[in-house]
Amino acid sequence: MYAAVSSSTLHGVFGAAITVEVHIGNGLPGFSIVGQPDEACRESRDRVRAALLCTGHEWPNRRITVNLSGEGEKKGGATADLAIAVGLLVASGKIEQRAIDDLAFVAELGLDGSLRATTGIAPLAFAAGSGSVVVPMESIAEAHLAVGPRAIGASTLREVCRALVDGEPWPEGHECRVESPEESLPDMADVLGQPHARFAMEVAAAGFHHVLMVGPPGAGKSMLARRMPGILPPLSPREAFESAMVRSAAGLRSSAHASPVPPFRAPHHTSTTVSVVGGGSPVRPGEISLAHNGVLFLDEMGEFAPSLLDALRQPLEEGEVRVARARGSVTLPARFLLIGASNPCPCANEQVTSCTCTPQMRHRYMRRFSGPLVDRFDIRINLTRPRLNEMIALEPGEPSEDIARRVASARAVALGRQGVPNAMLPPHLIERHAPLTERARAVIEERLARGDLTARGYHRIRRVARTIADLRGEHEPVDDDHVSCAIGMRAELANR
Amino acid sequence: MSAAALAALPLQTHQRLRRLLACGDPVVTFRRIVAGERPIGGVDDRVWHAWRDVAGLDDVVAQRCAEHGISVVSTADDSYPTALAGDPDVPAVLFFRGDLSALRRRRVGVIGTRTASLSGRNFARSLGRDLAMNGVAVVSGLARGIDVHAHRGACDGEGGAAVAVVASGLDVVYPPEHGLDFDAVAAHGVLLSEAPPGTPPETHRFPLRNRILAALSEVLVVVESRTRGGSMITVREAMKRDVTVMAVPGSPHAPVSDGTNALLKDGCGPVTDVVDVLVALGLNSGAFRRGADTREPPTAAEREVFVACGTRAVTVDEIVMVLGLPAFDVGVLLGRLELKGWVQQVNGWWEALT
Repeated sequence: MYAAVSSSTLHGVFGAAITVEVHIGNGLPGFSIVGQPDEACRESRDRVRAALLCTGHEWPNRRITVNLSGEGEKKGGATADLAIAVGLLVASGKIEQRAIDDLAFVAELGLDGSLRATTGIAPLAFAAGSGSVVVPMESIAEAHLAVGPRAIGASTLREVCRALVDGEPWPEGHECRVESPEESLPDMADVLGQPHARFAMEVAAAGFHHVLMVGPPGAGKSMLARRMPGILPPLSPREAFESAMVRSAAGLRSSAHASPVPPFRAPHHTSTTVSVVGGGSPVRPGEISLAHNGVLFLDEMGEFAPSLLDALRQPLEEGEVRVARARGSVTLPARFLLIGASNPCPCANEQVTSCTCTPQMRHRYMRRFSGPLVDRFDIRINLTRPRLNEMIALEPGEPSEDIARRVASARAVALGRQGVPNAMLPPHLIERHAPLTERARAVIEERLARGDLTARGYHRIRRVARTIADLRGEHEPVDDDHVSCAIGMRAELANR
Repeated sequence: MSAAALAALPLQTHQRLRRLLACGDPVVTFRRIVAGERPIGGVDDRVWHAWRDVAGLDDVVAQRCAEHGISVVSTADDSYPTALAGDPDVPAVLFFRGDLSALRRRRVGVIGTRTASLSGRNFARSLGRDLAMNGVAVVSGLARGIDVHAHRGACDGEGGAAVAVVASGLDVVYPPEHGLDFDAVAAHGVLLSEAPPGTPPETHRFPLRNRILAALSEVLVVVESRTRGGSMITVREAMKRDVTVMAVPGSPHAPVSDGTNALLKDGCGPVTDVVDVLVALGLNSGAFRRGADTREPPTAAEREVFVACGTRAVTVDEIVMVLGLPAFDVGVLLGRLELKGWVQQVNGWWEALT
């Protein structure tokens, strides 16, 4: 008559546990789903019916009511299919309620009764209660990531029935061990020359400072940016887990493993705001959430829609995106290192002096990402196109491995001191964690007096100087050399 | 202050203002306008309509001037600068901040394009400084590029004076990033405008401003200019007034020097040094003072970096590769040089300040 089956539904990148209640009673034969199902969920009826018939069960020709009970919001997706099917079998007495008490079911059903993989199996399994979770065999690796050995894989509804009715063992989960494949990251050694740019990247990686790169096409902006994951400190198991959950929720199943390599995302400038920031219905994570704990690279930043760049400000500030809907808001994680790249001006000439653009053109070009967004950049790198003869003569650069070692130790120092990377040091703690020597203070005061630094720039300089000092192993306090070097890297677009 | 109120009348032009002031006491004239009496011929119905409701305008203007420290002088006053009094197109009323006595010095106009090259801006700055060191007032328009750099140089130079003529009201800073320069000029000389406070920088006011620039200059130096543009308007105004026009030669390949090179072909005197200008002014060539460097001399390591900057804008990468020093060291040295005033960073490009 009645059955209750555990399952879960996806909200953004987080799963939420739901209970699927099935009641079979007398009355006009029919089937209704209540409990705020979305369209895909409503279509469950047809899939479940076909799957049951194909598996050799009868469809009870009575009044069937399915209730998705869980916290308020709309229940989306087809992931409750299996739970509904199992609920029907329990309610019609084919399976005993006792057999499923410790189980949760997360899978979409095919018409032939097969269990199909869907997006977000990892967060779904994670949220689906404390017992074992039955998931499609294809997604067992993802589920294993979230709940370990509590994940059970099955390929068809028939297998599920055999295990529940006849007590047969669950099929062996193959490829349960999630090995992160050996990834070959591009190496900094490939970057010839550009010593200062390399140094700036090192500082950015150590302090998690956002970087603005300005230079003509072919100067190596994306080449440098793509090497950032290789010099960032590896993700902690927790961070790797978070990132893997986001990838799973975004449907990137092939890369939904907990890799310690920080993610790198480079959306094209024609991308829509929703695809980058996240949103849609149901809410899906965007590029900035996929870049969580890693790098978001915006090439040709001036070409992105101004509204998109504006939308980045809140996540940059708060480390997460809140997508508000009439029925409530969904929070997506988005703490990323932003690398913006731009041509110096529309004509993209090598030198400021040979630029043919009028100040109005340059101003308009820079204004597209100026103001509040450009205020988020701590470091600016100016690049020139390397000349061919220089490139031939140059030795390969320092390999990523060596840089990463310095970055990791500087980051460890910062985390040990204040618990967050230097770029996230709140203003009121700067004085405590990044004190200045007398000489350093004199340099900063002079710069402020001369109008070289703005009040906002002042805090950024102090954070970057702190990172430079950490990198050089000169921990206490920040000296004038560190400040001078940081001031040289400041990202101000003031056109004097 | 009533002269100021007359200048602030709606749809006012400088010719009409001159005619109004010629009618007699501006206080009486203004009172008559408020009372509804047409003071002069040539005020057509459209303008007269706009003047219907100007009671209290004198107080508004006076208050605005007081708020921003702006003074007013008109051709009727004894203190009206003699340098302008004889001009055929004399501005009848001048609003100013600073000290009018700066206009009693020898005066050289230093003007040029707003989209100046690095070397042009540097030249304007050093020329401004050297002129100031020799007691010459530097006249310019406080526009972007050459103008503002000439003024910055003049304010740097010891004992000099800066004279700026701007097109907007003196309380309307245009371009907006030059707020500090407005104040510096007012402190080191005088900041002039024909427009009453609150006037926006309307396009038609710039050529009018340029005529005052030309009228105030005894010698006009064009540092960089394309073949068309505001600088060339000033040059034409200067030629009308028999002001000596000089030009700084530039590369034939540089579009920013097309105008100045054309002036040289037409027979203007070339300027490559402050001495050229001082000689044109007729100053005794024996006693020239050159801008002695007051900057703290660079250390040996800093000097190497300074030399490596060369004569064009460079990135830190280029310096690091030339010198073979670690990027951090070069960054530190550049920071120190910038602090001492030997180099400057513009949008990430470093340039040596000679």
